[in-house]
Amino acid sequence: MKGYDAVVSNRWVRLGAFLVVLVVLAVLPLVADPFTNQTISHIAVFAVAILGLNIVMGFTGQVSLGHSFFVGIGAYAAIIPIRDWWGGPLAEGAIVIGFVLSGLIPGVLGLLIALVTVRLRGLALAMVTIALPTIGLPLAQKFSDFTGGNEGISIRRLDYVGADGQVHKGNPFAAGPGLENDQWQYYIVIAIALAFFALAYFLVRGKYGRAFAIVRSNEAIASSMGVSPYRYKVLAFTIAAVYGGIAGFLLIVWGQFTSSETLAFHHSIDLVIASIVGGAGSIVGAVLGGVFYVTVSQIMNGLQLSIYTTLVQGVVIILILFLLPGGLASLPRTIRRLVRRGAAGHSVEAGHAADSASGNTKTQVQPSEERNT
Amino acid sequence: MKTTLSGRRAIAVAASVGAIALVLAGCARGGGDVAPTGEDTSAAVEPSPGITDTTLTFGISTPLTGATAGPGNCTVDGALAYFGTKNAEGGITFGDGKTRKIEIKSYDDEYNPEKSAANFNQMVADGVFAAGLGLGTPTNRAWREAAIEADVPQVLVMTGDPIFSDRTESPVQLGLVPIYQQEGAAFGEALVANGQPHKVAALYQNDDYGKGYLQGFKDAVAGNPNIEIVKELSYEPGPASSTPNYLEPQVTELAGTGADVFFQAVSVTPRVVENLAKAAAIGWTPIWFLPSNTASPGGVLTPAGVTETTYPGIYAVGFSEAAAAPPFAESEAGKAYFAAIAEYAQGPEQDGKAFPHCVWSWIGAQILEQAFEKMTEPTRDSFLDALYSIKGFDAQFAFGSIDTTVDGLPAIQTVSLQKFNGKGYTNVDVVG
Amino acid sequence: MNPFGTFIQLLVDGLAQGSIYGALALAIVLVNQATGLVNFAQGGMAVLGSYIGLTIGNLLIPGVGSTLGVVLGIVAAVIASLALGGVVERFVMRRFERAEEDTKVVATIGLLTLITGLVGLIWGFNPTPYPFFFGGSESLRIGDVSISVWSIVTFTTIVALMVVLQILFRGTKFGLGMRAVADNAPSAALAGIRVGGLRMAGWGLAAALGTVAAILLASKSQLTPNNFDGILVYALAAVVIGGLDSPIGAVVAALGITILESLAAAYIPWIGHDLKVVVPFVLVFVVLIIRPQGLFGRRAVVRV
Repeated sequence: MKGYDAVVSNRWVRLGAFLVVLVVLAVLPLVADPFTNQTISHIAVFAVAILGLNIVMGFTGQVSLGHSFFVGIGAYAAIIPIRDWWGGPLAEGAIVIGFVLSGLIPGVLGLLIALVTVRLRGLALAMVTIALPTIGLPLAQKFSDFTGGNEGISIRRLDYVGADGQVHKGNPFAAGPGLENDQWQYYIVIAIALAFFALAYFLVRGKYGRAFAIVRSNEAIASSMGVSPYRYKVLAFTIAAVYGGIAGFLLIVWGQFTSSETLAFHHSIDLVIASIVGGAGSIVGAVLGGVFYVTVSQIMNGLQLSIYTTLVQGVVIILILFLLPGGLASLPRTIRRLVRRGAAGHSVEAGHAADSASGNTKTQVQPSEERNT
Repeated sequence: MKTTLSGRRAIAVAASVGAIALVLAGCARGGGDVAPTGEDTSAAVEPSPGITDTTLTFGISTPLTGATAGPGNCTVDGALAYFGTKNAEGGITFGDGKTRKIEIKSYDDEYNPEKSAANFNQMVADGVFAAGLGLGTPTNRAWREAAIEADVPQVLVMTGDPIFSDRTESPVQLGLVPIYQQEGAAFGEALVANGQPHKVAALYQNDDYGKGYLQGFKDAVAGNPNIEIVKELSYEPGPASSTPNYLEPQVTELAGTGADVFFQAVSVTPRVVENLAKAAAIGWTPIWFLPSNTASPGGVLTPAGVTETTYPGIYAVGFSEAAAAPPFAESEAGKAYFAAIAEYAQGPEQDGKAFPHCVWSWIGAQILEQAFEKMTEPTRDSFLDALYSIKGFDAQFAFGSIDTTVDGLPAIQTVSLQKFNGKGYTNVDVVG
Repeated sequence: MNPFGTFIQLLVDGLAQGSIYGALALAIVLVNQATGLVNFAQGGMAVLGSYIGLTIGNLLIPGVGSTLGVVLGIVAAVIASLALGGVVERFVMRRFERAEEDTKVVATIGLLTLITGLVGLIWGFNPTPYPFFFGGSESLRIGDVSISVWSIVTFTTIVALMVVLQILFRGTKFGLGMRAVADNAPSAALAGIRVGGLRMAGWGLAAALGTVAAILLASKSQLTPNNFDGILVYALAAVVIGGLDSPIGAVVAALGITILESLAAAYIPWIGHDLKVVVPFVLVFVVLIIRPQGLFGRRAVVRV
């Protein structure tokens, strides 16, 4: 096992593995069927949303049950400029504006909300976050002339004036020559998702990550060390809102549709469940959470057993909480620990050491990363 | 420095690996290289996906779990029951002379547009020939344009949203149920017809459903000095998971207007039950209008404790027979329907009568059968041509005959105004 | 009906509907006192309990007549909920006693998903009428205002339960033990209090209370698997406004937001019924900022 550990922790092996993943991600859409590409893009959309949730819940321990609010607002911020301006002189510029706004508007809203509310703890914060989609949804429906209400906004066939002076229907996210739409949309989604995952990775590795971990474990100690819990909690909440908003943009790239339903409270619950199943305290966990969110429904559809989906989800969550509190992301670690325990011949000490080494998966991320830097 | 150098080397390696892989992959998916063959009419027609000489696959994306699962399961179960029976009899003989069995595949969208869009991708991957019958405006809208792009028929959808029956906007779509405006208008016209002055209070769901009903009603009574809408209140439908908790404050407020007609476009069954009980309890006894999906005698009126004499009249617009009414269960067709539901339905505890959507799905299945019998080639184009040319077909349980040839109107377009008679409904032309 | 009559009618209706939210809020407070967590599955458990009552009642009605059948069904549902609450605490939630706050929340959300899935599969999604002693339309008239029998029964039942719980908490050994556990479980254990038993009892009582509320609600309209999803959100708002440790606060807040919501909808035109849901949640914001422990809660002392 030592040899295995050494290999896994070798930075070259890690970097190599990362590059292989990159190459596979780059090549895959060219050979895979459209549904595979669409599914991977779909997973990436929600991986980004869940990553935001992990930053606020997993890394700083604030319960957020309103994440769908930020996703929904981000989706509106992205789709409305495209709907209104893409066919006009702004053309592709409308997409850029949509992208910027999808991060900016949820970010500003998140910041304003966080400034007032992050002092709250536990249920109080949870309640404030529940209030966001609960208020946001009727507001979106009230202003249905602007938001499309529950009928939603679809931009797959927008009017534009072509070179021939005629009005055509076009998809702002249609591929150029040489690629299919599913491939093109895949590349946009994956590129943006990767960029935001990289951002989160460096954020969590660095000074901010350490500060988050300290704030999470003990605010009093954080204060005594000169780390302001308030500041870092506001920061985490705001970053989470931005990630939610960007996921909203990616949702538009993937599906070119949104409606007030995207804001709904129960989608926040779905995201929280996916976050925990994947592993709230880790970056990889966000990807696994996205996989869970997208593929459980697909598999149940494929088996023609969808009426059991809710039940299966409930069983999976409870099982994960019982058997893998760190989520699916902690599976390799848990297996290694079990194997080591076996190898050590039930040595209490070894088991103990392994336990404390893995410890709480949520606070453990930073120290181990630190060792590598 | 070492890191930077080795990092560069690694990137270089990755880039070259990637480049090679790209070149290799270049022709892997090359569907574009296939020469077009479709123009040649002398050769046998290339069948569309999802159809063989013995089977046809039809996909339904609809809510199977969550708060809308009740009616959602019905949209699948009616079709499962109808085609289950037909398949057991050997299948359906298509217009090209071949006999095929119909395979229904159902996909749960939880009334979530994002899931229904994903379901469409999955249906395409699963190779469905056509899709439809599913319930919900936002969920059907989420893949309407994708279906147009992919040229997959999205037919007989269960929403009164008019866009699905607009042939220019929706070239591969068709609605099943009357558009909401039609139902509201039918009541409005019958109210005008009685010539009496009326004060109308309205309660509507603040979405395309409620607004559509109200708009239809308003258009029908427009310019008639006898009819005055004294107050309109709305409610938020809320997300699919949490239906509004109670609407009694609205009923109380509307009662205060002293209106003698209550136009109530509410789609949530338990709320309609409460409202019917509430108005009587506070001594407000107007003429009621109920939409077709929440007017079931057994499921709504009886639980509310309403009898023939509680109100001067309870009117509903119907376009199909109600499975919960006694004559339905006694008829031969009704017996066959219930037997088929008992045998083939997949929804939990499905009785086929708690929601009208089961009967609607059964009607939709008959319309599909008509199209199958008429389509002369195993292609989606031929299917759509056949589907758009049904006229004068009398489907079981539907009022009036089916006509799919009119642009702007769904497959079922005959709506009848009905009055509650204590047990079921009687068709009427005039309110009062 | 004159405008004043409408006003009074809105008040009366709000009291009855609000007491349903209040009952669920009370159950949430109870669980929080016993185990220090917020149970998002409280509404789901209540619906499950009411389906059990419905099934047993319907089984018994042919044999013992409708009134006795319904009563026995309710008794059975209450007993089943007591047991269910205890079992869930002992075998599911006990695992998460020392877990992080968010893990606890997710555990109860998982429970809610599981229960909703089960109820849908076992009883289907058709709205089912609950056989009860009286219909929703039977009512007394006082002047212009009508008070339904249902409103009176619901309101008095839930207020009575609240009083009983308050007495239980403040005036009995059981309540003292419960408060000791809520305050500091390890010291309570050292003092010889059976912490585990009290926690199970807290969950069981809360589940039974929720079931009573769910049956009352179902007797007015109908029973569906998602009956309490929307109500849970209001109950949580009431708990936050009233205070997590105050049974009276939770019920008063529940009644308050329900009435305030319908009055705001009726008399403030720009809010109307479209935006009335905003009222309780803006109130949540305001209360949390001004008085984070809730209007009736006691300030928690944070020890480091």
